[in-house]
Amino acid sequence: MSLLSIRDLRTEFQSPSGIARAVDGVSFDVEPGEIFGIVGESGCGKSATCRSILRLFGGAAARIAGGQILLDGVGDLAAMPERQLAQVRGRDAAFIFQDPLTALNPTMKVGKQIAEVILRHRKVGRAEARAAALQLLRDVQVTSPERRLEAYPHELSGGLRQRVVIAMALALRPRLIIADEPTTALDVTVQDQILRLLKERRDSLGTSIILITHDLGVVSQICDRMAVMYAGRLVETGRVREVLDAPSHPYTRALLAALPGQVGRDRALTPIEGAPPSLIAPPPGCRFAPRCAHAVARCTLGDPPPLAPRAGAAPGHLDACILDEVSDAAA
Amino acid sequence: MPQLEFRQVERRFPVKRDLGDVLARRGRVWLHAVRGVDLAVRRGEILGIVGESGCGKSTLARIGVGLQPADGGAVLFDGRPLDGPDRAGRLQMVFQDPYSSLNPRMTIGAQLAEVVAHYQPQLSRAARGARVQEILAEVGLVPETALKFPHALSGGQRQRVSIARALCPGPEILVADEPVSALDASVQAQIINLLKRLNRDKGLTIVFISHDMNVVRYLCDRVAVMYLGEIVELQDSAALFAAAAHPYTRALIAAVPDVRRSQPMAEPISGEIPDPFAVLPGCRFAPRCPLAEAACQAPQPMRVLGQDGLVRCWKAVPAA
Ligand SMILES: Nc1ncnc2c1ncn2[C@@H]1O[C@H](COP(=O)(O)OP(=O)(O)OP(=O)(O)O)[C@@H](O)[C@H]1O
Ligand SMILES: Nc1ncnc2c1ncn2[C@@H]1O[C@H](COP(=O)(O)OP(=O)(O)OP(=O)(O)O)[C@@H](O)[C@H]1O
Ligand code: SF4
Ligand SMILES: [Mg+2]
Ligand SMILES: [Mg+2]
Repeated sequence: MSLLSIRDLRTEFQSPSGIARAVDGVSFDVEPGEIFGIVGESGCGKSATCRSILRLFGGAAARIAGGQILLDGVGDLAAMPERQLAQVRGRDAAFIFQDPLTALNPTMKVGKQIAEVILRHRKVGRAEARAAALQLLRDVQVTSPERRLEAYPHELSGGLRQRVVIAMALALRPRLIIADEPTTALDVTVQDQILRLLKERRDSLGTSIILITHDLGVVSQICDRMAVMYAGRLVETGRVREVLDAPSHPYTRALLAALPGQVGRDRALTPIEGAPPSLIAPPPGCRFAPRCAHAVARCTLGDPPPLAPRAGAAPGHLDACILDEVSDAAA
Repeated sequence: MPQLEFRQVERRFPVKRDLGDVLARRGRVWLHAVRGVDLAVRRGEILGIVGESGCGKSTLARIGVGLQPADGGAVLFDGRPLDGPDRAGRLQMVFQDPYSSLNPRMTIGAQLAEVVAHYQPQLSRAARGARVQEILAEVGLVPETALKFPHALSGGQRQRVSIARALCPGPEILVADEPVSALDASVQAQIINLLKRLNRDKGLTIVFISHDMNVVRYLCDRVAVMYLGEIVELQDSAALFAAAAHPYTRALIAAVPDVRRSQPMAEPISGEIPDPFAVLPGCRFAPRCPLAEAACQAPQPMRVLGQDGLVRCWKAVPAA
C-alpha cells in the first residue's frame, strides 16, 4: 500500500483579483521508501501542492477546496482537524522549506531551535535535547557544530542555514520528508552531499521523500519517479529515466530543451515563449496550448486533458497531451 | 588597467565563543570569510565565481560593490580605491532573492522611477517615466509591468525587475549573486540570454556568482573558483572546463548532476565539509584531496598556469 495517496487535490488562494486555483485536481502516490520528484515552472503550484499535505500555508489565505490526502495508518489529512494534524507534523511527516530563513526564527540561536522541535514531541530533558541537536548537526555535516549551535540564523551562510533546517526535519525520524527545493541555495558539492544524506535516510530507514526542485539534474540523480507540473496540474508522470529520456508531453520536452549544455556558447538558449497562464482564469483545454508549438484547435476545447498512458509507453508513464504523436519537427 | 580590482581583500566576522573556547581562555573567535583575495575583473568580460556554499562568494560580492567594507586590502574601481557604494551607481548588484531588493508596497514603475530620480535628479517626471519604460523593454518586460506590485509578478519577472532596477543608474559593472539559482530552466534561459545580450550589446561587465556549473560554462568568459575564502583557480572558462587544474575544481565539475544519468559521474569528494574555524596552514583542500601528500602541508601560493591562468596547487603545475 502506498504511504501517501493524493486524490484530486484542489487548493485555492484568495487574492484581491480573485481565487487562484494553485492546485487544480492533482493526484499521485508515494510508495514507502520512494523518492518522488516534482518539477515545473515557477508559480505552477509545486509548493502549494506540498504545503497542502501538512496544511502549512503560513498565514496565507489558502484553503484545501477538495480531494483527499491519505497517509497510511493516519487517515485523510485533508479532513483532519488542525489539532490532530499538528501531531502529524514533524512526527509522521516533516517539511523542509524552500527558503530556510522563513523556517528559522531570526531571534533564536539555531541550537535552541533544533532542541525545541525535539522537546515538543519527546519527553526528554533540555540537556538531552541539546545533545541530540548537536548530533543532528553532525549528521548533516556541519563542521564545528558546538559553535554553530550558538549562532543566529543570519550568521550562517545559505548552505549552513539549509542544513540546520534539514537537521530539524530529521529530528523525529518521520516516515515522510517533504523537501521544497532543499538544495536550491547550495553549491553542487554540498548539494551532492545533502542529496546523498537524504538518499541514505531512505536506504537505512525506508523514509519516503517528496522532492520539489526546478533542477532536472537533481531529479535525474536521486528520484525514483517524478511528476511534471504546469499551471496547477500534473502534465506528465512516470519513472525518472522514462520521463527524462523519453519525455512525451510537449511541456516536458520544451523544459529539457531550455537547459544550457545542449547548445554551444555562440547560440542563444531556447526558453519557452510566452508566460504561464493565470490561475484565476486559466484558458480552456490544455493549459499549455497558448505556448505549445504542437497545439491544434482541439487542444483549446473543454476541460484540461487528464493524465493517460500512451500506446507503447512504459507502465506508469502517463501524460496529459491529447495528440497521438508529438514530433520534434514542429518545435 | 583592470576595471575592478581586489587586492589582498580580507573580511572577518566575530563569532560567539562556545564553552570550549571559554575553557581554553581563547579571546575573540573570528570567522575568516574572505582571505587575501587578489582578483582583477576585466572591462567587458563575464567573470564567473563558483565555490562551495559558505566559501565567501556573497561577502566578496558585497565588498566589490562597496556595500560592505573590507577589513584588509583594497578594492580599486577604475584604479581608484572604492570606499562605499559608487555615488554615480556605476557598480550595481543583483541579489539572489529578488524579493529582498523590491519594495512590496510600491508599483514597479514607481520604484524604478525613484532609482532613476536618485541618480539623475535633473530629469523631468516625463523623462523619468520614459527612461523606466526603456529599461523595462530592455529586460523584456511589457510596459504594463510598471503598474504592477511585486507580488503580482512571477519569479522570473521579479528577477528581471531586480535586474532592471540595477540597470537604472546605467552601471558599468553588474555583480549578480546567484541570479538564476531559484528559477526553472525556461525562465533561467530568458535571464541568461538577457545578461548575455547586455554584455554583448552594451559592453556591460558582469561578475556572475553561481553554483550551476552548466550555466557558468555556457555564460562566462573566465571563471574564478573559491574555497574557504580563497581563490584556488582562475582560468579561461573553456580551458577550465576542458582541463581543470585544481583538484577541488575537478571535484566540483564531477559533482554536477546530469539529466541524462541517474548517478553523478564520479565519486563525491570525501571528507568533511571544510571548517572555516580550523583552517590549515598548508593547502586548505588537503584534508579532502585525493592527491594530497606531505608536501601539501606547506602554504600554497598562487602559481601561474599556462597563458592566462592561476592555480593554488603545486601538483597542478608541471615542474619547470
Ligand atoms: N499567499 C498567496 N496568496 C495568493 N496567491 C498565492 C500565494 N502563494 C502562492 N500563490 C499563487 O499560487 C500559485 C502557485 O504558487 P507556488 O508557490 O505553489 O508555486 P511554485 O510552483 O512552488 O513556484 P516556485 O518554483 O517559484 O517556488 C502561484 O501562481 C502564486 O501566485
Ligand atoms: N554577518 C555575518 N556574521 C557572521 N558570519 C558571517 C556573516 N556573513 C557571512 N558570515 C560567514 O562568512 C562565511 C561566508 O559567507 P558567504 O555568505 O559570503 O558565503 P557564500 O559563498 O555566499 O555561501 P552560499 O553559497 O551559501 O551563499 C560563512 O561561513 C558565513 O557563515
Ligand atoms: S495538448 Fe496540445 S497544447 Fe497541450 S501539450 Fe499537447 S499538443 Fe501542446
Ligand atoms: Mg515553490
Ligand atoms: Mg551567497
